[in-house]
Amino acid sequence: MGQTSEVTEELRAAFKDSMIEVKAPRERRIFMRIKKVAFQETVKRLINDFGFRHLSTITGVDLGDQVEVIYHFAREGAIELSVGVALPKNTLSISTVSGLMPAASVYEREVHEFLGVSFEGNPNLSPLVLPEGWPKNVYPLRKERTFEELRQIGATK
Amino acid sequence: MNVFNWARAKSPWLLHFNTGGCNGCDIELVAALTPKFDVERFGIRLQGSPRHADILAVTGPVTLQIRDRLVRVYEQMPEPKKVIAVGTCALSGSPFKDCYNVLGGIDTVLPVDAYVPGCPPKPEAIIDGIAGMIQRRRKSEPHGSDK
Amino acid sequence: MGYGSTVKVPFGPQHPALKEPENFLFEVDGDIVVNVTPRIGYVHRGIEKALELRSYIQDLYLAERICGICSHAHTTCYTQGIEELLGVEAPPRAKYIRTIIAELERLHSHSLWVGVAAHEVGFDTLFMYTWRDREAVMELLEAISGNRVHYAMNTIGGVRRDISAEKTDKIRSSLDFFEKRVQEYLHVIRTEESFLKRTAGVGLLKKQEALDFCAVGPTLRASGVKNDVRADDPYAAYGEIPFEVIVDDECDVLGRTVVRCKEMLESINIVRYALDKMPDGSTRVRVPMAVPAGEAVSRVEAPRGELIHYAKSNGTTKPERYKVRSPTLANIPALCKTLVGAHLADIPIILAGIDPCFSCMDRMVFVDVAKDRNWVWTMQQLKRNTSR
Repeated sequence: MGQTSEVTEELRAAFKDSMIEVKAPRERRIFMRIKKVAFQETVKRLINDFGFRHLSTITGVDLGDQVEVIYHFAREGAIELSVGVALPKNTLSISTVSGLMPAASVYEREVHEFLGVSFEGNPNLSPLVLPEGWPKNVYPLRKERTFEELRQIGATK
Repeated sequence: MNVFNWARAKSPWLLHFNTGGCNGCDIELVAALTPKFDVERFGIRLQGSPRHADILAVTGPVTLQIRDRLVRVYEQMPEPKKVIAVGTCALSGSPFKDCYNVLGGIDTVLPVDAYVPGCPPKPEAIIDGIAGMIQRRRKSEPHGSDK
Repeated sequence: MGYGSTVKVPFGPQHPALKEPENFLFEVDGDIVVNVTPRIGYVHRGIEKALELRSYIQDLYLAERICGICSHAHTTCYTQGIEELLGVEAPPRAKYIRTIIAELERLHSHSLWVGVAAHEVGFDTLFMYTWRDREAVMELLEAISGNRVHYAMNTIGGVRRDISAEKTDKIRSSLDFFEKRVQEYLHVIRTEESFLKRTAGVGLLKKQEALDFCAVGPTLRASGVKNDVRADDPYAAYGEIPFEVIVDDECDVLGRTVVRCKEMLESINIVRYALDKMPDGSTRVRVPMAVPAGEAVSRVEAPRGELIHYAKSNGTTKPERYKVRSPTLANIPALCKTLVGAHLADIPIILAGIDPCFSCMDRMVFVDVAKDRNWVWTMQQLKRNTSR
């Protein structure tokens, strides 16, 4: 767990103002939560200074009155760092990272269509996966959307 | 038996269409073409165009995205035509039956003449299903039919 | 998987106003692609939502059916994540069995792909040979698990079936046969003119581009990057089994083919080693139905590349959130990069080069930016109209 602990402490020191918490439940896994205001700067430093250059994917989670967007980075294939930012549902937007990491574009599209998060600066947030004609404000992975309701929408399409 | 029905019974041309499945059934259906199973020795050929196909073999549960295309493919096929649903998803949509983007089995959209269960069915089962359907057609239309 | 068989589903000329979801929007100038926008969704079944509504053990069956070709990769990734949340570890013997099945799956998947790639360039003889020989692996999987596809070997806490001594002998002899066949393919693809002409120098993805676009799997390794989750982030028994990560510097479709063939040879060695060193003991531990609250990230090297699952539990018997990112999606940005500047005729083999795992890549919308016209072609029409 040596290297993972070291990196965890380095992250804790480097981002102490923007970080809410950081933990390493096992080797090669670090989970970090940061404040939205520090997001852009943190990501830049993670990529440039810490070498987290591989973006595995972006996950969106409905937390109730917030949506958490989690960026899963890897460093040269090894340590997987998940960085979570909680966004209030009434201002559900965050700046895009696709300028720094072109691969982010598809993942942002996916989080947008399933949870309704706006990624400012992403030129293409058109639906990736949901069918043509799917109603615009129905985000299937929101907790308030029940299976029955979604099935009804599907059936009437 | 008139020559057309003899040809249809002896060497049906098959069109393979996936409506949203996991590819499990598709790879077993394609495996039926390959040397170990060699479906062509039964006169069954996989064809590229709906306009030349006698049988539509469909795999996968019907997703919303694919439904209209599936219907269109079926409509482009000339009569008489048969539909064979391959795999559990094509039969009933299960285990995705309740998902919002899935309508259900093929028979929610098209008339189905034969069902081959399995997840996925083995190539032998698929060949058996097709052969069985052809046999039934031979029996029910011995002197030819203009359907 | 339309492109995997000799069957495509052509529709003839379509009116652009018809509302159909396209897979890829190609902007072309004459014969060259200038821009690509992906649009997928045929196989979208709403699995992530469905996973939240079923119990963990029911979700195992859904997870398996995310993909028919790499189902074991998905269940390995799934069970590992849930086991981490539960604070349990599968017994050592189970980890070895997981590894063996994973490598057998890699063998069936890669040989399937070599056949498909051969078919894409019109080399049907190789397609028939590879799929005939692949049956040796399918029979092994059936003998071990009871099914050729969807082996259902994994469960939360270990594996559901053991591998007996008789099966071990059968595995070894089948692998001896298969190894010779793969060596033959490696020779053929490197010397057969018709294959070389269609794949060498085609679909170029430079090393820095592969890294910038976060490509994964053989696509990444064929661009000279030595990343493989089995080596970098070991799981199951990979930490105890020596093996080589196969890398190629050609950066083209031929390189991707060579990487997959060599990986098959490496997989055969991994299985042999695992059989030799297989520890005794139980094959599973019992686990409770409810999973304590927490989160876990699980990664495996599926045949197509890095597969990642994110699991969030809430103390109940059902997941709070379950996210799946398949390797094909990870390769879409890199794929689009390789398509820009390509000839129309090379589109099918470049698409096939990333070993895509979604069905029906048989419709493409074209927009000619110079002549300001647009049209729709199926894969078959594309091949017919651009054959050279």
